[in-house]
Amino acid sequence: MEVQKEFELAETAFTKESLPLRKNALEAFEKLGIPSMRHEEWKYTNIKAKLKQQLSLTTTDSQVNAAVKNYIASLPPYAFRLTFLNGVFHPELSIVPDLKGVTVCSLKEAFAHHTTLVEKHFGKLVNYSEEHFAALNTAFVTDGAFIHVQRNVIVNEPIYIQYFFTATDANAFTQTRNLVILEEGASLQFAEDFRNASNINVQYNHVAEVYVGKNAKVDVAKLQLEVSNAIGIHTLESSVERDGRFSAATITFSSPNTGTGNALIRNNVTARLVGENAHADLNGLYFGKETAHIDNHILVDHVAPNCTSNQLYKGVLNGEATGVFNGKIFVKPDAQKTNAFQSSKALLLSNEASINSKPQLEIFADDVKCSHGAAIGQLDENALFYLMARGITKEEATQILTYAFAHEVVDHVHSQPIRQFLCDKLKDELQLNF
Amino acid sequence: MLSIKNLTVAVNGKEILKDFNLEIKAGEVHAIMGPNGTGKSTLAATLAGKEDYEVLSGEVIFKGKNLLEMDADERAREGVFLAFQYPVEIPGVSTTNFMKAAVNAKRKHNGLEPLDAKDFLKMMNEKSQLVEIKREFLSRSINEGFSGGEKKRNEIFQMAMLEPSLCILDETDSGLDIDALRIVANGVNKLRNAERSFLVITHYQRLLNYIVPDFVHVMFGGRIVKSGGKELALKLEAEGYDWVKEEVEMI
Repeated sequence: MEVQKEFELAETAFTKESLPLRKNALEAFEKLGIPSMRHEEWKYTNIKAKLKQQLSLTTTDSQVNAAVKNYIASLPPYAFRLTFLNGVFHPELSIVPDLKGVTVCSLKEAFAHHTTLVEKHFGKLVNYSEEHFAALNTAFVTDGAFIHVQRNVIVNEPIYIQYFFTATDANAFTQTRNLVILEEGASLQFAEDFRNASNINVQYNHVAEVYVGKNAKVDVAKLQLEVSNAIGIHTLESSVERDGRFSAATITFSSPNTGTGNALIRNNVTARLVGENAHADLNGLYFGKETAHIDNHILVDHVAPNCTSNQLYKGVLNGEATGVFNGKIFVKPDAQKTNAFQSSKALLLSNEASINSKPQLEIFADDVKCSHGAAIGQLDENALFYLMARGITKEEATQILTYAFAHEVVDHVHSQPIRQFLCDKLKDELQLNF
Repeated sequence: MLSIKNLTVAVNGKEILKDFNLEIKAGEVHAIMGPNGTGKSTLAATLAGKEDYEVLSGEVIFKGKNLLEMDADERAREGVFLAFQYPVEIPGVSTTNFMKAAVNAKRKHNGLEPLDAKDFLKMMNEKSQLVEIKREFLSRSINEGFSGGEKKRNEIFQMAMLEPSLCILDETDSGLDIDALRIVANGVNKLRNAERSFLVITHYQRLLNYIVPDFVHVMFGGRIVKSGGKELALKLEAEGYDWVKEEVEMI
């Protein structure tokens, strides 16, 4: 990939204010490149082999197609949403909230109109000098959403940030970016919703930085529900100040009932608890079929004392699907009285499905409570027989038990509207009509 | 209704039922008694279609059809119901949703449309009263955190919902106090009719004071060794199983 040449085109495509930072990131990416499986963090995910050799980082193709229109028509008409097609903001497909104390706009607009605020935060949570895809994203960002919530302002309705892919260029590698800032005591629920609305395999690399101020609350749902033919790399970086709460649910359905399941999804989710008494919930649910590959790398970094965190990840793998779970808990020397919990459970529904599960605890304080558990198994035969003994077919009984297994994660989503949305999607995915 | 002929069943390579025979006609209540480890629960599980039970020989004809050729779910849709000795807890699925799936699976089997929400609710209300189950109970996860009595009541409630032709009660009285026993037995008695048959498996005569059987069989060593009327249960209660054992050993 000739990144220099691509960057000449990208240089003017995004804001001039961000140019020095983007040039730094470009330099970093030129050193880092695309990681191979020799890199510890990419040991089980061969991203280098999967990505196209020729990558086009400066696409301008942004067509609305029937799939996009149909999906938007299926949403509640009042739902706040920012819609992006191949990384380009489409205001005519969006309903941008106009609320007191809340700024919502595209990142490009934010750079132009809220320059100081954006420059103070943009690129500060991700470590682009070491992380390959954060560097690439920072250098080639096309656009994304910007949300700023002022002190003590509570946004009651969730904001959906939708990323549709309608590209016809198979080499396109879309770079999108969200920046979310909550001041002290503010509260927000939002979803990042990714959908492949094209007929081809799409490639994208998304980064979000979320700042949770003192006593602020953020609930984010990362929705990867229609990504059957996608290579998607997601990075979500958050920092949580004193008494703040950050909760993220990452939901990946590699293959809706009709899909081919040929997906590769990588999620890097990080919560850095930098103020005392902060809390993080990092939860995830993933379904993989056929040859899908779903990789969740999670990190909770306990920097300050008296913080708590939970990680609950559940996976259901069928066909030849593979899963990767890498859950890190770091407890820094100052982070006394940390209480951190991690659980990873996977159901393997076929003989060919597999998962690599790796908990990683690095503890440098002495007065802490950390626990982790990993379980890999099959459906409970007794429960299956119980359902079948009431006349339910084996197929439906399997779906019901999968629902029972998966539902716990959905139940942990704090935002009621998003939880309901996910509950319905889960039933759709499992073809259950109760 | 049910005809079991020369049935031999092995579990993990060990023969548990040996040359077992039993005929049940429509509307009859048969009780099977016997000491532990004689194959009573194996009989129940085999009839319900549990997979790890290996039928070595014999036949089971249910309403003119070969039961042994059907999977567990098909047997249930045809009208066989097993009330479990140890009902399974399934966190995350409510009893209501479970029953919706089960009732509609049976309706589909019989060529009927799924019940609409209103009719289903009405049916739930009606049937839950049979075993004195409260509505909020049904919106809880299946058997999760239920007491022994609540689990057994839930079994009889499910039986009422599915309206089976053959009800197999596997030690439904175990772990029940006297009040729960009465409620469960009342529920069963209300479901008795001329078309519905019962196979009641129990250790103790106590249950048979409430569910009065037409026939009592004593099982020993994988087969029925003695049959009689309800008075046989009383004799067993008073004298234990030893005299039956002696009779068998003499033969």
